[in-house]
Amino acid sequence: MPSYIIKRILTMIPTLIIISILVFIIIQLPPGDYLESHIAELQSQGESVDPQKIEFLRHEYGLDKPIWEQYFVWVTGFVQGDLGFSFEYNLPVADVIGDKMWLTILVSMFTIILTWLIAFPIGMYSATHPYSWSDYGLTFLGFLGLATPNFLLALVMLYLANQYFGTSIGGLMDSEYIDQPWSFDKLKSVLAHLWIPVIVIGTSGTAGMIRRLRANLLDELRKPYVVTARAKGLGEFKLLTKYPLRLSLNFFISDIGSLLPSVISGAEVVAVVLSLPTTGPILLAALQSQDMYLAGSFLMFLAMLTVVGVLVSDIALAMLDPRIRLQGGMKK
Amino acid sequence: MSKFIQFILPFMTLVSLFTQQAQAITEVPYLAEKVASGELPSVEQRLPNIPATPSFKGKELGQYGGQLRMLMGKSKDIRMMVVYGYARLVGYDDKLSLKADILEKIDIKEGRIFTLHIRPGHRWSDGAEFTAEDFRFYWQDKATHSVLSPYGPPKAMMRSKQPPKFEVIDKYTVRYTWQAPNPYFLPALAGPSPMFIYMPAHYMKRFHADYLTKEQLQEKVATAKKRNWRGLFVSKGRQYKLTNPELPTLQPWVNTTTPPSERFVFKRNPYFHRIDPTGKQLPYIDEVVINISSSGLVPAKTGSGESDLQARYLRLDNFTFLKEGEEKNKFNVNIWGTGRGAHIALYPNMTAKEPKWRKLMQNADFRRALSLSVNREEINQVIYFGLATPMANTVLPQSPLYKSKYAQSYAQYDPKSASLLLDTIGLHKKDARGIRLFPDGSPVEILIQTAGESTEETDVLSLVKDSWRRVGIQMYIKPIQRQVLRDRVFSGDAVMTTWFGLPNGLPVAQMSPEQLAPTKQDQYQWSQWGRFFETNEGEEPPLPKVQELVKLNKAWSSASTELEQNLIWHRMLAIHASEVYSIGLISSVLQPVVVNNSLHNVPKKAFYNWDPGAFFGIYNMPSFWFQKELQ
Repeated sequence: MPSYIIKRILTMIPTLIIISILVFIIIQLPPGDYLESHIAELQSQGESVDPQKIEFLRHEYGLDKPIWEQYFVWVTGFVQGDLGFSFEYNLPVADVIGDKMWLTILVSMFTIILTWLIAFPIGMYSATHPYSWSDYGLTFLGFLGLATPNFLLALVMLYLANQYFGTSIGGLMDSEYIDQPWSFDKLKSVLAHLWIPVIVIGTSGTAGMIRRLRANLLDELRKPYVVTARAKGLGEFKLLTKYPLRLSLNFFISDIGSLLPSVISGAEVVAVVLSLPTTGPILLAALQSQDMYLAGSFLMFLAMLTVVGVLVSDIALAMLDPRIRLQGGMKK
Repeated sequence: MSKFIQFILPFMTLVSLFTQQAQAITEVPYLAEKVASGELPSVEQRLPNIPATPSFKGKELGQYGGQLRMLMGKSKDIRMMVVYGYARLVGYDDKLSLKADILEKIDIKEGRIFTLHIRPGHRWSDGAEFTAEDFRFYWQDKATHSVLSPYGPPKAMMRSKQPPKFEVIDKYTVRYTWQAPNPYFLPALAGPSPMFIYMPAHYMKRFHADYLTKEQLQEKVATAKKRNWRGLFVSKGRQYKLTNPELPTLQPWVNTTTPPSERFVFKRNPYFHRIDPTGKQLPYIDEVVINISSSGLVPAKTGSGESDLQARYLRLDNFTFLKEGEEKNKFNVNIWGTGRGAHIALYPNMTAKEPKWRKLMQNADFRRALSLSVNREEINQVIYFGLATPMANTVLPQSPLYKSKYAQSYAQYDPKSASLLLDTIGLHKKDARGIRLFPDGSPVEILIQTAGESTEETDVLSLVKDSWRRVGIQMYIKPIQRQVLRDRVFSGDAVMTTWFGLPNGLPVAQMSPEQLAPTKQDQYQWSQWGRFFETNEGEEPPLPKVQELVKLNKAWSSASTELEQNLIWHRMLAIHASEVYSIGLISSVLQPVVVNNSLHNVPKKAFYNWDPGAFFGIYNMPSFWFQKELQ
């Protein structure tokens, strides 16, 4: 096992190097650079820019250097924990992302918990009552959540919340609480705003989870040991949870790999529509304005979390499921 | 209630004018506590010896207090507070004439010797005195400093590549002397993003290498995590972007929040230099709060009453939605005019790469024919509720330089004459579809590239497409990113594009006519010619009429009388009208301005424009005030 883990960690290094090159190339692919998109934005609002000053900035930001040199500067900084400098915010990248991280994690955690709360009972119910009306009905609900465009649902919910509950539109709290210390009122305000993104993002994830749980469970429930156990008079609930449910949870554990990055990035599009103070909109804006160090470092961070997440879920799977462990041993 | 107030106010003004002499200036309640505790001096000592008294004509006297909420799309947008606040050395008033504001007065001799008189006793927002030293510091230690400005002083400070001679006459007087008249100097000072020719010297010296020992400087650069002291100096001294809450300012409200944030609080500048007719120190409103939200949500949030004064990110097509929220959320949707020559104009690229297109676009008759075959009235009725003005891309009717013949020139819908014109320039052959053919047999199919963030442009274009089809011109529409659009125009790949019309549709003769001549690369009809005059790259314009525009623009800058300037403007406008360098599609599209019902002194009818105008700037935002009982 330890040698397996070390090997996995070593293969992560070339993976990350390749990802970093790809990330950098893709960010550079659109024509122009940050300054040009900045000028275009200013002009659309009627402002004008002095070309001399732009040349000066281009030199100051190092945008006049060849691409490989820019890449090298970025990567060497990144390895030493310097995430680079955001042109758009005129701040180190770490400062830009830092504050938003906690709210992003908060929204994501609530969303994930809600997804589980909805998906698990429905999935279990559907699997134990397959092809019944209730199975179809509940699955239909899940698919409805998957199929409704998130941004549309978000807008509709915003409107309804504002019309009937008087919640202020967008954001995660009423504006007077921003930058205030935490208090009971602030918490109340956050909770009043939090349910919309949680429901919107959550509904889109439930359908997938319901279907996977149902399929895995159905496979197990048809196996002879279940029949035997039932014949021997084991209660239905215990019958379900004792082995079949545990055996069908592998997909759930391998999901951890993709869970980690999504906790940090939040759902970008919904966050933009709802104007959430999370990291998603920052990433999107950074990509649009070619704020390359902000976008690059953030994407790299997500990539690292994905790679680590996959490793963690692999190890967890190996520990939890003896069948996977055995196979690993046989290959050696 | 408000009618009653409007009725009795003139009387109240009179009464208070009489009593003004007798009583001392009232203290600002918001600051009273600090004054009482001795933290701040009293209002008499905070104001300059001679405060600025902007005109209150058509305005009410206000009450102190309140918090003004506004919405912005990005935290960078807080620079708008310098635009709206509009404290300038000299600034435009609402009639667009230049008035001294921060300065007590300015003496101009021969259009080239400018003597600036500072108000004695005028103070920065931290209480330090504002003196000639602040101008000297900017000029010697910033604008002409070899490390901080390797490219020299700003363009408006240079006349034929020569900087002015700068003199400090005394503590409150400075003088700039050029060899030749400099008509660009004052407009640059009065701009919405002004040329700052002064800096808070007492504060900025703390970050300047010439005033510090090496060790001090290194330590400061390291704590601010900057690469060098230039980065440190620049980041501490952004007078326009307002990212440093510690930086003293002369604007009416001072930023107190360090970015990045979702909410910025601006507090009143206790040393602001303007007073109302009764001698009360402005601004009336104590705090301005700017909430950052994604720009797409701004109309919705405004409609639900989350902004007290909002125009940015609102568009005419939000009008009906905003109107619905008026009663419930207690605001009023005002409709302001806009100041651009055209809301949308087509720019034939006369420096297109492909020779056949370049030749065609440079043909005035072709441009005239295209303009004649646009049905502007249809665009106005179908897309703008009939509220806009169908006219060519020229100065607006409100400008003293306006003549209806400029606006009407080739702007009436006349497909017959258009077809005739097209026939005479060698496009008489048509293919089976009825599309005209170049002499080489290829069809005249114009690809129009447009910055496609909203469907508005493409909606307008599809109407134009139909009417062009009737005269045998095929149009294709391609929405692309704004920045890509720029690049394609510059490289000559785009043969025709859409953009705004003239940036300044409300000029007076004293304003530079440079927008009418090739002077900048971002003039999409002749980007390469503009580039030639901006940076000496690109190409020289071959067309005699364009060369004449260049000469006229030059002649304007050395013109000594208003009459002369006036003649030059009209000559240039006439050339534009007859040559149709750009095809204006629709003008004077209105701007919704949402105003809280209890917010007073915001004009009902006005212009929402960048330069001149500074959006709310020229309407003296510090005079806006909140009626308490309605709040």
